[in-house]
Amino acid sequence: MRRPSTLTAYAFLYLVFLYLPVLFLPLFSFNSGTIVAFPIKGWTLDWYRKLGEQDTLIQALWNSLGVGTVVALLSTAMGLFAARAFVRYRFRGQRAAEGLVMLPLVIPGIIVASSMLVLFLFIGLKPSLLTVVLGHTFLALPFSVSILKSAFDDFDASLEEASYDLGVGVFDTFRRVTLPVVSPGIVASLLVTFTVSFDEFVLAFFLSGNQPTLPVYIWSQIRFPAKLPNVLALGSILLLSSVLLLVLAEYFRRRSSASGVQ
Amino acid sequence: MTEKNIIELRGVEKRYGTFLAASGIDLDLKEGEFFSLLGPSGCGKTTVLRMIAGFQEPTKGTVLIDGQDMDGVPANNRPTNMVFQSYAIFPHLNVGNNVAYGLRGKAPKAEIDQRVAEALEMVELGGLEDRGASELSGGQRQRVALARALIMRPKVLLLDEPLSALDKKLREQMQFEMRNLQQSLGITFVMVTHDQYEAMTMSDRIGVMFNGRLKQVDTPTTLYARPCDQQVASFIGEMNILPAQLLEENGDTLSVDAKAFGQMEIEKNPNVATSARDMNIGIRPEQLEITSEKPEDYPSTVQGKVSNVAFYGENIHYHIQVAETDKPISVSVPNYFHTVDFNRGDAVWLGVQSASVIDLGTDTE
Repeated sequence: MRRPSTLTAYAFLYLVFLYLPVLFLPLFSFNSGTIVAFPIKGWTLDWYRKLGEQDTLIQALWNSLGVGTVVALLSTAMGLFAARAFVRYRFRGQRAAEGLVMLPLVIPGIIVASSMLVLFLFIGLKPSLLTVVLGHTFLALPFSVSILKSAFDDFDASLEEASYDLGVGVFDTFRRVTLPVVSPGIVASLLVTFTVSFDEFVLAFFLSGNQPTLPVYIWSQIRFPAKLPNVLALGSILLLSSVLLLVLAEYFRRRSSASGVQ
Repeated sequence: MTEKNIIELRGVEKRYGTFLAASGIDLDLKEGEFFSLLGPSGCGKTTVLRMIAGFQEPTKGTVLIDGQDMDGVPANNRPTNMVFQSYAIFPHLNVGNNVAYGLRGKAPKAEIDQRVAEALEMVELGGLEDRGASELSGGQRQRVALARALIMRPKVLLLDEPLSALDKKLREQMQFEMRNLQQSLGITFVMVTHDQYEAMTMSDRIGVMFNGRLKQVDTPTTLYARPCDQQVASFIGEMNILPAQLLEENGDTLSVDAKAFGQMEIEKNPNVATSARDMNIGIRPEQLEITSEKPEDYPSTVQGKVSNVAFYGENIHYHIQVAETDKPISVSVPNYFHTVDFNRGDAVWLGVQSASVIDLGTDTE
């Protein structure tokens, strides 16, 4: 059956409106002029070439990669235990706990950021990459918990029992059965939480002090019109890598769902 | 089978909050027997199995395996192994590594390989070590689960509804194979099932459970011939349960007035707990004779009308409406000559030998 054509047109316009501006970003990053406007003057890869020459940018990139890696490991490790507990056991306060873990998804970032800054200063933690890691872990946890919960949902609990039954203890069972079976979920969670941290701006802006992450660095550069094409090139790379990471994560998440049930 | 008890349950109870999943379970399982726990779903049979395996701790009572008190002994330290209902085949390991799982690090590699090959041979999966877990059929998964448990040389093999995931033909084949395997290994098998035919064809003895209680423990033939009450009688096979009055008790013989069938002398059932004046008798459908004329050689007869006919192939079931009872009486006749002899509405006679009539006592519940 054919759908009404007005609805198709609406959907098409909707997608164009949503994604066309994003596609302008890579487009103008190849523009040889410094002014971001049509018509495009000429094509160049200079802006990409110049990225490698900027030490502060490279430093910010390393900061982001470091923070992202630590955040991914921390939030996935915590998410793994939380998700297993949520799926396997019934306990008092379970619903409240699950709700609290998901809360960062809906609290406005600016509120979280400013209150965290106040908290960290109060307990004597100066803004630095450490505070960014703590803030980002808080933000990334709902993502890792929900990804890993779906991995455990598809995980037959009798697999762990079968392992105990065959004479293997709790820790070895976790290592030999639980981890391998949910490993696609773990990989998906690592990729998603890394991306969440890598792309995050508000918290990093408040908490990074004088150690900017890449988004904070980009924001600082936008003020200089001459640097804008350069920022566009950087942004295009970030956009592409984020999309790639998330596609990869989705691939692993689906594999984890497929492996649990037969 | 020896006379040694391999498992002893003493007053075992499992309580979840206010719900009693199992209570007052006393059970001795002999070394080398095939024992089935039979009952409808939710009767507590799986709970009992899991308490033997060590996945659940009893709230009361003791579980002894080979004379050892299992209190506080976790599942991984018990001399039992289990075949799970879902088979729980590790999806990330191939067949060989699944079967070898429990031996890894506990024996030299060459010995493990040797034992894996033997175990797979035993369940007729020889040479399939490298097959992936996802490439197995239902029957193969079941065999891998068996091999993985048996390779541990358990004192007791526990089976949780092991055949319920298989289709009918395969299930019947596996019943015989598992029975043969059990007899050649001489290991005690304890199986949980809700399927009475499965329990009867495979087991040396059956424990029938209802509502968390073990009602009767007996051999399949005794369960069928001398059930302890109406509930067990109608769960194991089909049973016509008829009201009767106890007239006189004479040692092993009861004189009863079986209303529809008149007065008769029947054997007293030693498994029945109470017999009062109002009691019940049971007659299996296949032990009734159905004829169009009044049968001469049957002492107890009743006249009725065919209310339903069902053709099963190997036998034919008739429902006979009798004036003296509310429920129609079921009769099952073997299909000797490929004919259905009676039709709905036919007037017929039923006859029974008093030796076939079962004393069901008086139900107190």
